[in-house]
Amino acid sequence: MTDAEEIKTTIYAMKTTAKQERTVVDNIVKALEDHDEIRVVAVMAPDELKGYVLIESPDSIARIEQLREMVPNARAVVKGEMAFSEIEHFLVPKPVVTGIDEGTIVELIAGPFKGEKAVVKRVDTSKEEITVELYESMVPIPITVRGDNVRVIDKTHE
Amino acid sequence: MASKTKKVLRVCRNCHHVVDGEACVTCGSSNLSEDWAGYLYIVDPKHSKIAEKMNIDMPGRYALKVR
Ligand SMILES: [Zn+2]
Repeated sequence: MTDAEEIKTTIYAMKTTAKQERTVVDNIVKALEDHDEIRVVAVMAPDELKGYVLIESPDSIARIEQLREMVPNARAVVKGEMAFSEIEHFLVPKPVVTGIDEGTIVELIAGPFKGEKAVVKRVDTSKEEITVELYESMVPIPITVRGDNVRVIDKTHE
Repeated sequence: MASKTKKVLRVCRNCHHVVDGEACVTCGSSNLSEDWAGYLYIVDPKHSKIAEKMNIDMPGRYALKVR
């Protein structure tokens, strides 16, 4: 992570034809392939933001204007830069339960059963919760815990 | 048949990647969802604050939210 050179990027908003937001995202990426002089690191179309796409770029607005001219259904670049904090709420990080599936053996690292081993029975990625059954318990009782309250011990459960 | 010809893009529940086939090429998961929102294209994950915030380190197409 630290080896990447630090470059400062800016968020620009680009107005699009209605319902063409995702197409415009794809078309921007396509246009970039033939134009090395324009640097864009990410493009996104949040569903809440109808008629716009957001472009993250280290370049000036003039470059983004140049890009806009090459992209069908892109209508205008909104003047001015946006702060990252203005778009941050659109970004939902990947769930913390990544890498945990049914059958994965985990150790509980928090809560009343801390230190106990358990088998994962169900993963709810939207709520970032997993349901486990304690490994050594005689009567299997399902317990639901937060995904970051477990540590993966073994991925290949036989 | 007509309604099925328009392909619905599916997304990996595990890593949010947009998937073309039956399994995710990035993480191998076949836990896919058609119920997702927000479209994100990461071009250069090393230099993108958006990618950093989303915990994404591979270029490609992603969903902002997966249900
Ligand atoms: Zn995946």
